[in-house]
Amino acid sequence: MLQHLKIEWLKIKNYKTFWILSSLFLVSVFGINYIAFAIEQETMQKAPEAGMILGTSRFLFPDAWSTVAYLCSYLLFIPGLLMIISISNEFSFKTHRQNIIDGWSRTDFIYVKLMDVVILAICSTICMVIAAFIFGISTGGFSSIDFSGSIYILYFFIQALSYIAAALLAGVLFKRSGIAIGVFFLYAVVLENLLAGLLNRYVGGIGAYLPLESTDNLIPFPFLRNVVDHIVKRPNTIALLIAACCYLGLYFFLCKRKFETDEL
Amino acid sequence: MDVLTLTGITKYYGKICALNNVSFSIPAGSVYGILGPNGSGKTTLLGIIMNILKQTSGSFELLGCAPDNHIRRKVGTLLETPNFYHYLSGEKNLQIAAAIKQKGADQIEEVLRKVNLYDRRQSKFSTYSLGMKQRLGIASCLLGSPEVLIFDEPTNGLDPVGISEIRELILQLSAEGKTIIMASHLLDEVEKVCSHVAILKYGNLLTAGKAGEVLVNEDIVELGATDLSQLASILQAFPGNTQQVKSGNFLQLHFPVGTANLEQINRFCQEHDIYLNHLILKKKSLETLFLEITHN
Repeated sequence: MLQHLKIEWLKIKNYKTFWILSSLFLVSVFGINYIAFAIEQETMQKAPEAGMILGTSRFLFPDAWSTVAYLCSYLLFIPGLLMIISISNEFSFKTHRQNIIDGWSRTDFIYVKLMDVVILAICSTICMVIAAFIFGISTGGFSSIDFSGSIYILYFFIQALSYIAAALLAGVLFKRSGIAIGVFFLYAVVLENLLAGLLNRYVGGIGAYLPLESTDNLIPFPFLRNVVDHIVKRPNTIALLIAACCYLGLYFFLCKRKFETDEL
Repeated sequence: MDVLTLTGITKYYGKICALNNVSFSIPAGSVYGILGPNGSGKTTLLGIIMNILKQTSGSFELLGCAPDNHIRRKVGTLLETPNFYHYLSGEKNLQIAAAIKQKGADQIEEVLRKVNLYDRRQSKFSTYSLGMKQRLGIASCLLGSPEVLIFDEPTNGLDPVGISEIRELILQLSAEGKTIIMASHLLDEVEKVCSHVAILKYGNLLTAGKAGEVLVNEDIVELGATDLSQLASILQAFPGNTQQVKSGNFLQLHFPVGTANLEQINRFCQEHDIYLNHLILKKKSLETLFLEITHN
């Protein structure tokens, strides 16, 4: 597998689009956290009475973990996009064929792509952790570092896996980058939220267990917690985790099945 | 030993039958041409052998084994169009191919020189001309010195110099003892290099075997003399000929393959006081043959 990953590395090492988008992701991770951080700071300074509702800063450890994870989760479409580009490039250059002609099995090929999903999720999580350290430390200093909320790192990792694997599935199913990106974005940004809203309203609570929603809900909205917690009933975390793992298994299975049985 | 044995390969695309019960074998060391008009199933057949497509029924053996990815590493294949990463240089693309084949990484320079791409090895694949892309595809096949090479339309997009270079290369590889399987609709190409041919039409195998047997089914001797009718009547008695046809100012005698002996014919005519002013052994043109075979 290491040998296979080296080949994958050769494919992206000199691929500018990949590195540009990755850099933008990194910049955005810090950007989105900085915006929230700056707004919070300013509110606290200009209207200290708002502290009654806001509570202490959400960027203080241990809350920093969940806050930064929540904010970063809005950017997970970027690693998803990278995944779609990676697989649809193979289809459009027909290199998926060539890799197999040259001596990979179909299973080799799709396993490497699934490994890419895991690696991209790990890298995204590392970015999130670094951001959490930076904003946590700049709020409360080095002495404030506290790992008690660090379970959110795991939740974020699962969420990243879920988004990137769903993106891979879209790529494998639709093959062309345009349609795959379109469907993935529409589903992730609009359709699923709409569906979740409808289900929550008319069927009761199950909207939270839709594929991407189940991982979105692992990390709750971090601000105004003492207000929100009284209004919104949080879905069961264990149930969410089980749902998320089932969906992940399903994405992996469908990608593998589709690629192994298709005409290439 | 046979390098490739096909047994009853059938392939349907929905209701369309792309290959119908195709069986033949390819002996080691041959240059095997798979001929057929566009859409006859050549590429489909090679795609099945490479596990890009799945046959509806039938089976095949590659190098004496049931096919898998390890066997494919022993075969250099250029299927349809050269498939490479557009944003990488020719050299980097070959590094990837060599890494997947798990051999040939040390031959990249050598194969690039062989196909005259060494000077452009640092250029991106997307900047290559059609002919250069094709040559990179061929270079990639040569990595790891595979015993079997499969070329699908190898001279596609090449200029006349490129075509003759590839032809030389194929003959040279064949001389090194490699088996070459080549799909083509260019008869001239096949005639010049192939030792064996199979002819496909609408997915049906029309004929397969040694090129000399499949493609040249008759020797034709063309003769001319001042008195053509006298020549014709005398030659009625010449043994071994199967057919006599008058064609313009000449007379054509048909013989089974390899049995026409010009010397004997010349002596025979002389003995009957006829002096020839034209005597030539013709082989039926491949094009005529191909049209005959594929039209019946």
